Amino acid sequence: MDLLEYQAKALFAEVGIPVLPSQQIGSPKELKGLRIPYPIVLKSQVRASGRGRAGGVRFAANTIDAVAAAQVIFKLPIAGEHPEVLLAEAKYDVERELYLAVVLDYNARRPVLLGSAKGGMAAELSPDWVQQVVVEETFSPYYARRLALAMGLSGPLVRTVSDTLERMYRLFVEKDLDLVEINPLGVAANGDLMALDGKVTANDSALNRHPDLLHLLAHLEVNGDTEGGDGPIAMTVPERSWLRRVDPDGQLMILCNGMGLTLATLDLVRRQRGTVAGFVNLRWASGGDFMADLYGQLKRGLSVALDSQPEAILVNLMGSGISVSRTLETIAAALRHRGHWVGPRRSTPRSGESLRDPMPTATKSQVRARRQVTAKAPAVLAAGMGMDGTTGLAAGAEEAGVLGTFQGAIAPRFILRVPRLEDEAAALAAEMEAVGAIAVADLEEAVKLAVRAAVVAH
Amino acid sequence: MHLTSSSKVLIQGITEPLGQTYAPLMRSYGTRVVAGVSPGWGQTEVAGIPVFDLVEQAIAAAGEVDVAVVFVPPYEVLDAVLEAIAAGIRQILITTGGVPPMDMVQLVRVAEATETLIVGPNCPGIIVPGELLLGMHPAEFYSPGPVGLISRSSTLSYEVANHLTRAGLGQSIVASIGADRVLGSSLQQWLQILDEDERTEVIVLLGEVSGNNEFAAAPHIATAIDKPVIAYIAGRYAPIDRTMGHANAIIAARLAIAGRGQGDVTEKLAALKEAKVKIAETPSQIPTLVKRALTQRRRAAARPTPADPAP
Repeated sequence: MDLLEYQAKALFAEVGIPVLPSQQIGSPKELKGLRIPYPIVLKSQVRASGRGRAGGVRFAANTIDAVAAAQVIFKLPIAGEHPEVLLAEAKYDVERELYLAVVLDYNARRPVLLGSAKGGMAAELSPDWVQQVVVEETFSPYYARRLALAMGLSGPLVRTVSDTLERMYRLFVEKDLDLVEINPLGVAANGDLMALDGKVTANDSALNRHPDLLHLLAHLEVNGDTEGGDGPIAMTVPERSWLRRVDPDGQLMILCNGMGLTLATLDLVRRQRGTVAGFVNLRWASGGDFMADLYGQLKRGLSVALDSQPEAILVNLMGSGISVSRTLETIAAALRHRGHWVGPRRSTPRSGESLRDPMPTATKSQVRARRQVTAKAPAVLAAGMGMDGTTGLAAGAEEAGVLGTFQGAIAPRFILRVPRLEDEAAALAAEMEAVGAIAVADLEEAVKLAVRAAVVAH
Repeated sequence: MHLTSSSKVLIQGITEPLGQTYAPLMRSYGTRVVAGVSPGWGQTEVAGIPVFDLVEQAIAAAGEVDVAVVFVPPYEVLDAVLEAIAAGIRQILITTGGVPPMDMVQLVRVAEATETLIVGPNCPGIIVPGELLLGMHPAEFYSPGPVGLISRSSTLSYEVANHLTRAGLGQSIVASIGADRVLGSSLQQWLQILDEDERTEVIVLLGEVSGNNEFAAAPHIATAIDKPVIAYIAGRYAPIDRTMGHANAIIAARLAIAGRGQGDVTEKLAALKEAKVKIAETPSQIPTLVKRALTQRRRAAARPTPADPAP
């Protein structure tokens, strides 16, 4: 997760990397209490890169200029993000700008030191100038000096730049970071160095052992970070990427466990010319009651999936010990919670059609299912009444002896992929019927059916 | 990698929920689980398996072990694996996910220096169908046979093994090498292991669109792997956003200079095709391609070479 510039600089200061005197500005008014001497630079605190070009960095020579500049920057979204805070910083004259970074190279499985004698915007434009040194074994400053020389530096800069890199590396290791970047690193006429801008990316897996970083990021969350916007479910920081929305007009939602299988399922939908609204990748928890956790995730996933009102939902769970009946119970609970009908499915009446139509009861399993559902019906009605003004409808339905009511749209069709169907699913036909689910053993067949169900419903 | 049904196995974190669940499953599959380790749980038992506080105590009681399977929580993985290596164990499988990358960097350095094979983290492990289960593979999807399967993902391995088993194609070794970004062993290493494994006749490689592992593996297949390789790459049409930092982009660009770019599907498939890898478009095509490769290979083996005298 990316930190904002002022947060990155606070970390730099902790390890002794020089940063300019600065102050956080929460509103243009606060500039009147500025403690830094003019001229200053005002910088939008957003995580997107290219702030300079977008107009998010402005100079000001006095308070009047500064307030005007701040008003502009606060109103300027950069890559869709509005700043909550600006950073006011003293202006610094540099002779040259360098680029330095420490990053984890996942293929080499080693941290890598990166550096370029041409920093600032130039570094972004030409990665070819960037030199790299892989930290093969335990870090020692000679790795940093090797990079400084590869960058073409000489004289006192060899030592000062390698000293900065050593501090960056220390930060990288101590805080479990994915990236520490200084760009530009200003070099003043007298040879002094100054971290003029910086980027720090924390590793999500390690966050919980760094309370200081969690604290910084929690602050980010509170400050209107609405990215993801996944409904009312409270999610912890690393879980934010949990639901992936794909296509707002998509007809299918996919709930699957494991990224590889989820991707394969998405590919199959695409091959069948289906469209995907989004998908949820359920993860195997390593601690606690991992099975209960999986159904918990399924429940939350269903709730999120139902929010986007898909035509069909494909549930594809692979693994030992995953129970079809518990999956079905979870689906039924999610539907009931929404005030959706849980019972034998009717031939999909749309809004406007009478709710008083008698229910078709053709098969034995349907009868059995209806009987089972009867006991649960009050809960369905209660949920429907409590939710959004469907009281009248519900009363009408009750009067007519109908067991439940639809709240708004009809519940989506569920396609349940059960890899070893012959073992258990056949015995659960009634429960399947009750939530409108079809069980299929073969993945491709399941995808085909889900796509077809979505198209028919549409 | 040296694994047989007589390999002795130690489970670290045996009292963790997953350890408690899978230790008996591994044992009932026929795996020789000789001991477990869980600090604070010495002198107790899990499913009849004796538990010790330290790896060295377990080895003193049970004798040398061939493999350690690690179920400890993510922030304890580094320590658990260092303890196993210090006790002389040279094959270690980490099931735990979410191990901090810098911990893995440290482990990889030690593993290289001690010639330790590390599988994982974040993987269901290895199964040698009919002989040995190390980790969490659901046994019902597997059967013994000639197909070696390597994968980065767990459930996709089960899916493909299920397809193979239903088509009458058993598996020699199935290795899920892990879904985390820093892995103990690479696809190349596993391709090499399966190429040398006597029972493996065809190799199936399951890849994903993200990351560079498959790129790195392609030239290796072309030069060093003799057995036929079939690959399936998941996520070809999936919307994957790669939020790469600036420095990551530079690393990627440098890889591009070195010959291969970052995870572009078309490039990845082209690189594999160049290495004479057959590409399956869907999981269900894998058995068909495997059958074809097996027939060709067996036919070629049956054909006497000019040097051989006719029987």
